[in-house]
Amino acid sequence: MDSKEYILGRFRRNVGKKYDMPDLGSIAGITYPDPLVQFINITQTNGSNLFELKPGDDINKLIMECYPDAKTIASSLPEIRIANRNPETVASARDLDGTDVGVVRAELGVAENGCMWVPQQCKEKVVDFISENLVILLPRDSIVNNMHEAYRKIKFNSYNFGTFIAGASKTADIAQVLVVGAQAARSCTIFLV
Amino acid sequence: MSTSHSRLADKFLENDKYAQWHDNTFWGVRQKRDRMADEVPEWEQLRQMASDIKRHTITHLDRYLEQFEANAVKNGAIVHWAKDADEFNSIIYGILREHDVKKLVKSKSMLTEECEMNPYLEAHGVEVVETDLGERIIQLNDQKPSHIVMPAIHLDHHEVGQLFENKLGSEKDNHDPTYLTYQARLSLRHEFLTADAGLTGANFGVAATGDIVVCTNEGNADMATSVPPLHIAVMGLEKVIPDYDSLAVFHRLLARSATGQPTTVYTSHFRTNRPTARKMHIVLLDNGRTEWIANPQHWETLKCIRCGSCMNTCPVYRLSGGYSYSYFIPGPLGINLGMLRDPQAHSGNVSACTLCLSCQNTCPVKVNLGDQVYQWRQQLDEFGTANKQKKFICKGMDAVFTRPKVYNMATDNAHLANHIPSFIMECGLNPWAKGHKMMKFPKKPFHKLFKDLEKDEDGK
Ligand code: SF4
Repeated sequence: MDSKEYILGRFRRNVGKKYDMPDLGSIAGITYPDPLVQFINITQTNGSNLFELKPGDDINKLIMECYPDAKTIASSLPEIRIANRNPETVASARDLDGTDVGVVRAELGVAENGCMWVPQQCKEKVVDFISENLVILLPRDSIVNNMHEAYRKIKFNSYNFGTFIAGASKTADIAQVLVVGAQAARSCTIFLV
Repeated sequence: MSTSHSRLADKFLENDKYAQWHDNTFWGVRQKRDRMADEVPEWEQLRQMASDIKRHTITHLDRYLEQFEANAVKNGAIVHWAKDADEFNSIIYGILREHDVKKLVKSKSMLTEECEMNPYLEAHGVEVVETDLGERIIQLNDQKPSHIVMPAIHLDHHEVGQLFENKLGSEKDNHDPTYLTYQARLSLRHEFLTADAGLTGANFGVAATGDIVVCTNEGNADMATSVPPLHIAVMGLEKVIPDYDSLAVFHRLLARSATGQPTTVYTSHFRTNRPTARKMHIVLLDNGRTEWIANPQHWETLKCIRCGSCMNTCPVYRLSGGYSYSYFIPGPLGINLGMLRDPQAHSGNVSACTLCLSCQNTCPVKVNLGDQVYQWRQQLDEFGTANKQKKFICKGMDAVFTRPKVYNMATDNAHLANHIPSFIMECGLNPWAKGHKMMKFPKKPFHKLFKDLEKDEDGK
């Protein structure tokens, strides 16, 4: 008998009383008078920078103003003309090491916790993580109240990978002192577009 | 007679400055958790839902696991089933050998601790590199985790600094946590870039979609799966949940309960390999879980989502540290899991509980941890490990508590015990005196105070 049969058989013999699934529709998920305002506030608590793009603003110029020393900029987004590395065409994920700024697009933001849904959008998703500084472009009309709403809305594409990102990577593993910049991005800047 | 836990706790308490820091640190995390919970008006409803979803899923595991497997395979992953730790380790090694893997980077996984996978792989010539900072620190220090979420909490920054001087060549005497974290980042970056495979645990497996969901703050699970050409995800059977609506409930509870953050920085959903990598493997582990389900008093331990908040809030954990427990998971959760795993070996932990029940009042999925510890205590005789002196006194208490007249008489006169010289109450013959200060009995017992208050109210 293979292990799967063995495990499922043992489970079926051993399980006692069975419980019904609760009605999740009855959850009163938190809502905000203005989810965008809440999103902006929580983003600041999460330690990210946030700018609202105004009509006529050039995103390329704004990114360079935020990161004036950046030399290598990776993005597969067509509007990012300052990019000099393309995660879509690099030979290997390793080639994106040493990226100063990575620019990616998020599809949805969550007001309760600052999560942004970033589905994979090019061949090497490592750009989301390996870049020293991460810039996220987020549509301002995409903010939902809470994770219940978010999980009903997010979409996958054929890459079949997506991640919620809520700021720069962090750790407190040394003596519980919070340090921003663990294994992935060391800073995060959000542009509401 | 003392238990294995109380003996090790004594050692922990010898360094009282550190013990106090440990206590305060975890109480601070507990307070952060409370602030987070207070911000969510539907918090208690979420906890109840989470408990109910888990009760349902765990008692229908066969259905959900088969659904999960079917969807994962449809997405392009390869699914393996392991009935125990030996099979788990040999499956993992088999995959690594097939792909000629010399170096494996991994994110934090309690499952691989449970199976002692690292030493097994190392014995077979595979280099294993932990990439969660805390896990990496204790790996370099040749230690085991002392907490499931903060594995290196037993070391201070000087100890980590000296370790990094020796192992990573960091600057002498620079023990600043920011500097040390950066040194680890540089060294781990090199490991990510040179590894042949990445292994992650799974916080959740979603049956309806076949997702493996991994939550981290450091982004290490993402680095480990975005650079090397092979991803293996490992998951205990009980981590499967029905769908995204359920996932939303657990996601909202997990980070708030664990570290008092509204979310972890990364919540990654893996359905298949990236286009430039080989097929993704998922290994499902039983290792006792389908036996534990048969235990009517203890099966609900399987609801656990490994947030660690029962440890943070536990007064005994806070004042005795992770290494005082004989099982690799400490605190209220570890007491219970250890007893399910091997009661002979781990009954020495059952004493590590004041029955304050703070654990089950904070647990996001309402595991009745303290009640379970109480129930284990009733069975200690079977394992031949009950403390005979304490048992004698317990019998006496039982007689008092179950007969109201005797109880009332005893409490009315209890304040007289205040006059018994403490050397009698705290002498070696009274086993509770060790680790417990005799409490002061009030002149008026509580039920009398309450009655008097009622009278006052009526009189108004
Ligand atoms: S038992 Fe509850 S509180 Fe403890 S780790 Fe598990 S989910 Fe968290």
